[in-house]
Amino acid sequence: MEALGINLGYFFVQLFNFLVLFVILKAWVYGPIIKMLEDRREKIAQGMEDARVAAEARANAETEAEKIVADAQSEAAQVVREASQRAEEVARDIKAAAEKFAGEAANEARAGVAEERDALLGEVRGQIAVLAMSATQKLLGENLDEKRQHALIDEFFSGVKDGKVVIADGAEGDAVVTSALPLTDGEKKSVEGTVKGSIEFKVDPTILGGLVIRVGDKVLDGSVASKLDTMRQNVK
Amino acid sequence: MEQTEKKTGWRWGVHRWWVLAFIIIGFYAAKAYPPIQPHIQLPAENVFETGLTFFGQPFYITNTILAMLLADVIIILIAIAIKRASMNPDALPKGISGAVEGLLEGLYNLTEGTAGKWTKFIFPVFATITLSVLVWNWTELIPGVDSIGWLEPAHGEVHGFEKEELWSGFYTIVESDEAVVADDVHAEDSHEASNGYLIVPFIRVASTDLNFTLALAVIAVVAVQWMGFKALGPKYLTKFFNTKTLFSVPIFGVIDFAVGLLELIGEFAKILSFSFRLFGNIFAGSVLLFVIGTLVPVVAQSAFLMLEFFVGLIQAIVFGMLTMVFMSQATESHGDDH
Amino acid sequence: MEGSIVIAAKLIGAGLAMIGAIGAGAGIGIVVSGAVQAMGRNPDVTGTIQTNMILGIAFAEAVAIYCLVVALLILFVVGN
Repeated sequence: MEALGINLGYFFVQLFNFLVLFVILKAWVYGPIIKMLEDRREKIAQGMEDARVAAEARANAETEAEKIVADAQSEAAQVVREASQRAEEVARDIKAAAEKFAGEAANEARAGVAEERDALLGEVRGQIAVLAMSATQKLLGENLDEKRQHALIDEFFSGVKDGKVVIADGAEGDAVVTSALPLTDGEKKSVEGTVKGSIEFKVDPTILGGLVIRVGDKVLDGSVASKLDTMRQNVK
Repeated sequence: MEQTEKKTGWRWGVHRWWVLAFIIIGFYAAKAYPPIQPHIQLPAENVFETGLTFFGQPFYITNTILAMLLADVIIILIAIAIKRASMNPDALPKGISGAVEGLLEGLYNLTEGTAGKWTKFIFPVFATITLSVLVWNWTELIPGVDSIGWLEPAHGEVHGFEKEELWSGFYTIVESDEAVVADDVHAEDSHEASNGYLIVPFIRVASTDLNFTLALAVIAVVAVQWMGFKALGPKYLTKFFNTKTLFSVPIFGVIDFAVGLLELIGEFAKILSFSFRLFGNIFAGSVLLFVIGTLVPVVAQSAFLMLEFFVGLIQAIVFGMLTMVFMSQATESHGDDH
Repeated sequence: MEGSIVIAAKLIGAGLAMIGAIGAGAGIGIVVSGAVQAMGRNPDVTGTIQTNMILGIAFAEAVAIYCLVVALLILFVVGN
């Protein structure tokens, strides 16, 4: 030990010297430096936090702006849609009104035309009967009883014989009665007497004679046109 | 150094001519007064003759104590500088205090990375050890350390040198023919001068005194134990006296107990290895500087001074870092990792 | 004459004692080579590796320090 120079006195000198240095450095150096480091770290953390908050705020603002723009766009689209809808509605209303007006006008016109035609046909009915009778007289060369002839012709045109509708015995329900020439009131009455329910009378010269009565989905075809057709089929 | 001189010698510069001038002056100085390898001894030399008795052992003011005081003065100056710099925290760190702050910040981050929540307790010990050892080691680089001192007559078998007066009161020692000295001695009949003279330097690096490194090692190891008790309480002792499995596990319990005892011995081995590592490195470094300075007096020592600069730094950091690592290991509970 | 033989033996003994530094040198080399390779492979953990490297170097160097101490003892302590 002696040769190595180890000496308790020097040892303790160094020991206490170190402790003195330790205390001095701890008080003067480590405290401030640790505080400074902590402050700096805190400052950096604060800066990071601030940056993060700012970034978040910016992101929020961006999303908000996007949202506002989207809202405005959808609102604008809504307004446009409503406006166009309204315009369409107005247009449709106008169109509907116009159509209705046109349809009414047309209906009126049609009804007028039909009435006129019916009236015309009613007027010419007697002359047609006279023409037909004279033509038949000429063809047959014989004079038929004029009264009987009239009855025949009436029967031909109206399908009503002896106050009875030949084909529509016992039909029930709402009926549409189509005749080639307008029916007389008496004939109408006899039709009404035969068919139970409300009756609509129509005139269609193409069926030539007789009656076509539609009751519900049932068609009673007593027209001359269909008879001729059946005959044509048989001849063939 | 000289190679650089040759390669870029055609250019004009200031510093390289200074270097060349110093080399030439050194060459002539070495020729005029050839360097003498100083006497190498392990114990520190006494600077003052008067001494005390302390615990039955003589106590003198030695040159290592003076070196320690010099280092203390330097460290306290640094501390004052840092304290003053920390007064206004807005100022940029600069100068020596800034450099030391940077060093301490690095040490702090290192401690935090290793020790975690115990940093506040470990860092002051770590930093004080590192800083003081660093300043001790670097006092070796100051010119005049180890070479300026009292001229004293050699004692015993030690071979001394003749003194030559430079000017009034200042002497240097010179190599001389031993036979001539012997003749002179006989002629003067002076026993003291029989072996010539030796230099007792005023300042010798504190790390080359075993007392000091041993004291530092004891402080380090005590700090490690203190840290262990602080972190784990009395449970820390189970690391050394591992009776947990002694009776429950047949053979391995005994082995664990023996390993615990080995750890106890290891704590004392730490003292030895701490103290002798620092002492050995720095003592060997200063001997190396003596020898190189004697062998190649002119240029070579500059390179070895740089080497010693790094060795001093590395040894300071190793001493401190080992203390820090041992301390943070002591805070960890022992039984968990096996 | 005897004294010079003793001195010679001491010098030789000190030299022989320092042979032990070979092992420490090789050991430090191995430690540093492993650490540098590890740092090259995984630069993220450089700090941890450096700490452990310095620890390992210190332990390996301790052996050389013991050799140095023995050599110093032989040179300066034994027989003086």
